Amino acid sequence: MASEPFIRRCRKWYAKLLRLYPKPYRERFGEGMEQTFNDLCRERVNAERGLFSFALWMFFETSAGIMRENMTFVIVQKSIIRVALGTGLILLIPLFGNIFVDGWNWPLPAFILAGTLLFGTGLTYEPVVKKMNNKAYRFAVGLALGTAFILTWMNLAVGGILGDHPANLMYPGVLLVGFVGAIIARLKPHGMSRALFAMALAMALVPVIALIVGAPAFANGVVAVFGLHAFFAMLWIVSALLFRRGSVNRL
Amino acid sequence: MLHILLALSTQERHGYGIMKEVESDSQGKVKMGPGTLYGSIGRMIEAGLIRESDKRVDPEMDDERRVYYKITALGQATLAAELERYREVVAVAKKKQLAPNSFAYGI
Repeated sequence: MASEPFIRRCRKWYAKLLRLYPKPYRERFGEGMEQTFNDLCRERVNAERGLFSFALWMFFETSAGIMRENMTFVIVQKSIIRVALGTGLILLIPLFGNIFVDGWNWPLPAFILAGTLLFGTGLTYEPVVKKMNNKAYRFAVGLALGTAFILTWMNLAVGGILGDHPANLMYPGVLLVGFVGAIIARLKPHGMSRALFAMALAMALVPVIALIVGAPAFANGVVAVFGLHAFFAMLWIVSALLFRRGSVNRL
Repeated sequence: MLHILLALSTQERHGYGIMKEVESDSQGKVKMGPGTLYGSIGRMIEAGLIRESDKRVDPEMDDERRVYYKITALGQATLAAELERYREVVAVAKKKQLAPNSFAYGI
């Protein structure tokens, strides 16, 4: 039977070994893992069985887990770095524009806004497409997110599409429809298709409601405003059809 | 993962509880260490199959508070689908009159 100092030493070493896990993982599961190890030690001691081979196996098994989780962590970190690099490269365009093109003058807040939007869109795109191995789905996600990005950019940087009017608040609502829809669908193709159709419908309703409440944008022409909204809705419909087609082909 | 879902299908359990239930369900054939168990738990939480429940004391053990894990509706549906798949495979094997030791002598 194992001696008390050996048991204490094993527990201490195991706690030290757990420090090698990536920090977020350790903070989430470290305590539970330590408790489980202690429970298993207690079980062995109560059964009057030796601890040495057991401890050796536990250390080996946990070390394999540490390697696996660290590799996963590095891959996630890598994708964040990739998105950040992509964002930086795209932002070089307006930066060069500022330097070399007359009349091109982006202020610092525009860079911050564009950077935040691009980085956010990229961070959303990366994990979503990792779960999808179909190229059509990936394109559909890219198209849907790209459309959402342009819509947000037009509203925040260029100015409200519907003029200076609270009706512009309907656009975050449209994006929310897609966001909630994607969560409910759990990114499954058929559900994603429905979520995107719902988004397109919400987008098509925006100019109708805006016209009823009298948003100032219609002063420049009703057709142009409806046309712009129809364009956005059409892009989401294309994305929805890609998801639908993919899900039908899989059956 | 199937063993963990099976262990959680009847009640919430903490890490050690899951480990013991898996061992008992598999008649000692499946033994997991904390590294494998918590790695699987992390991935299953991410996939929405299980979720963390409240932290509480297990009256049958010590007075330490432990995180319990609970199967979600998606986890239950996944378990049911997977068990159905196994049933179908076994049915096919039975239809072909295959016994567990059919290939034991390279027949």
